[in-house]
Amino acid sequence: MRNKGAGTKTALSLLAAALTLSLAACGSGNGNNEANPSSEPSASGEASASSSAPAGESPSASNSAKPVEITVWDKPHADDPRKADMEALFAEFDAKYPNIKVTHVEQTSGGEREQFLTAVAGGEQPDAILTAYSSMELYIQQGITADITDLWNGYADKDKFLPGSLASGTKDGRIYGFPNAMYTTGLFYNKKLFKEAGLDPNVPPATWDEFIDAAKKLTDSSKGINGFDILGMDWADWHFEYYVWAAGGDLTKKNDDGTVELTFTSDAAVKALQFYKDLKWTHGVTQKNVVQSLDDNLKDFYTGHAAMIVGASDNLGSFITKGMDIADIGFAPFPAGPSGGAPAQVGGTYWIFSPKASKEKLEAAFAYVSYTSSKEKLEQSLQYQKDNGAIVNLLTVRSDIDIGQYIDNLPADIATNVAKASADPHLEYFLKDRLSPYVVKAIQKVLLDKNQDPLKALEEAQAAAQTEVADKYNAEVKG
Amino acid sequence: MRANARPIAKAAHPARELKLKKLRIRWVPILFLLPSIVAYSMFKYYPVLNMMYISLFDYRIADPPGPFVWFRNYTEFLMSRSFWNAIKNTFVFFLLYTLLTFWVPIVQALFLSAIRRGRGFLKFMYQIPTILPAVAGVLVWKWMYNPDRGLLNYWLSKVGLGPYGWLNDLAITKLAIVLPAFFAGSGISVLLYYAAIRSIPAELHEAAKIDGAGPWHRLFSIVLPNIGFLIAIQFVGFMSSILLAFDNIYVMTQGGPADSTMVVSLLVMKSAFQQNRFGVTGAMSFFMLVIIAILTVIQQKLSQERE
Repeated sequence: MRNKGAGTKTALSLLAAALTLSLAACGSGNGNNEANPSSEPSASGEASASSSAPAGESPSASNSAKPVEITVWDKPHADDPRKADMEALFAEFDAKYPNIKVTHVEQTSGGEREQFLTAVAGGEQPDAILTAYSSMELYIQQGITADITDLWNGYADKDKFLPGSLASGTKDGRIYGFPNAMYTTGLFYNKKLFKEAGLDPNVPPATWDEFIDAAKKLTDSSKGINGFDILGMDWADWHFEYYVWAAGGDLTKKNDDGTVELTFTSDAAVKALQFYKDLKWTHGVTQKNVVQSLDDNLKDFYTGHAAMIVGASDNLGSFITKGMDIADIGFAPFPAGPSGGAPAQVGGTYWIFSPKASKEKLEAAFAYVSYTSSKEKLEQSLQYQKDNGAIVNLLTVRSDIDIGQYIDNLPADIATNVAKASADPHLEYFLKDRLSPYVVKAIQKVLLDKNQDPLKALEEAQAAAQTEVADKYNAEVKG
Repeated sequence: MRANARPIAKAAHPARELKLKKLRIRWVPILFLLPSIVAYSMFKYYPVLNMMYISLFDYRIADPPGPFVWFRNYTEFLMSRSFWNAIKNTFVFFLLYTLLTFWVPIVQALFLSAIRRGRGFLKFMYQIPTILPAVAGVLVWKWMYNPDRGLLNYWLSKVGLGPYGWLNDLAITKLAIVLPAFFAGSGISVLLYYAAIRSIPAELHEAAKIDGAGPWHRLFSIVLPNIGFLIAIQFVGFMSSILLAFDNIYVMTQGGPADSTMVVSLLVMKSAFQQNRFGVTGAMSFFMLVIIAILTVIQQKLSQERE
């Protein structure tokens, strides 16, 4: 009896121990391995058969008979207007490269970043995924993007891409992203509301003072119309940086040695924040709900409740889809600030690849991306959009595509203004990804508290950001 | 002599004798318990242990686990302004929720036990709000709070109360988040309290009435002390759920504006996914675990002392 009891007790504790150990092994195993047992890190890739590549396509992948499976997170949402076009593209790729099996996965709207980082942490990073310019710095530093320098150098079409399109995806001479799309930012305005307020719809405000005048004339609270919808939520710094540039400065400075210098308290930034404060409290031209989402701002614009908003050139198409008349939409470069200039922001997306993928998978993913980004396929997609009445993105990353032939349904002034706006493009302020919460906090304090002094808010933000982010970053860069 | 020895042997080791009897393995209960043990281990205990492990590294998700940094993650967040601001907000929320929502089910249960008719109907009405998914309710409130076009300001203006900024007013964002919970159903808490109140023997009430105790006096000296055990249990669950509250704050304000509603759980999520600082967020989460454990122990000790 005693022996039996002791034996059972031991058995139970062994079971518990085995359970815990197997779970621990399971966990760490998932973190380091992935599905392909013969994987090896791609490191600084050796694109061996690059010299004999057919035009516009990646080497070896089309010639290799060995089947390869890759995962790409580019499946369109059910309500995506380009769904049919994209699915046709997927089928064409499958037919052309029968040995590459592509699994397309859809991303969750609004939770893309969390979904992606969770997959990376779980060892299931997709072989190719689109990511924004502003996220590249952090991802490259953390080793989340694969180094595709050699694949890119072996790519036949590499000179057909605008040189500026590689800027955010390059670090220390190595390339980490394949350019996908670009946009420029500017001021959208409602020509119909301009006319109703007695303003000339073909003369958008060209300076900050003209902007204030126009906004005051356009604001009509009895009709629920705001002169200007300001962006005050989590991404407030995205639009705020333009005003800092227009005032002649920036929020950060990248030093030659790679370290960052915070300039939140510079003259330009304080002037810009004061301008924001005046828009809200002194002139009263903004919406009351300054913390509403960007989508709500866009909605206010296309429902005629906001006469002007800051937007990106690729928003144009969505306004039309939501029912706005193209004749009512105006796009202008930003009004010039105290510095006399008004740089626009250029942004966009890159394809990034998994650093843990095997050489075959990386080459297959590169083949997929270069196929979908080829001149032929891009023009096919543009034609599809034009045929279906959609407004295409006016910027393209390839220099060998004439966007003009796809926009004959577009008013001439919009096309000219987009070109004007992108004439002096700036990338977002250095280290934006990590500093954003601090800048946004200062902006929100000023927009929500009438008595908040802009300089003090920026000083507090800079002090916190210096100790919590900048010092650590600089230490990492130096050592 | 021998016959007497055995009873003495038994009396000297009664515990061991009982233990031996009890160690007959009954597999059926173990089989029933096994799924929940496995689930708890996998989804509760394993993540906690993993989190403690991660918190000792400057964790790199692309190349785990990254450099080992001892307790540097802990010193980092303990010295950061954002963290202490989040702790302050968390405890302010805790205070607000306790003041505005903890006693509501108790009062509802007292009403239920006091009325004669319509008890079943009222119980039903108290439960209906819990059918609504919490997030849907929060979204409706978010729209009601809209200062440009929301319903709340409109209704309040009808009774002459000025337009409020709600989520746009830094002074009242926290209150704006807690207010919906005041009106929301508290789930089965009402029913638990009601059952406890009803289980108080009627003789106690009769005796008190005879002694001349009024209803308020009876409430505080008979009813509340007798359901004290339930209040204590409910408070522990309440405390940990509020200190870790995430969903409604995330949906309503994402921690803004100007970090006025940034609580520790939200800070953890933002630092993890926005800043990719997984090691530090693991350390923060562990810190919260310790805090809540300490508070729970204190609370248990206090309630035991009372008994």
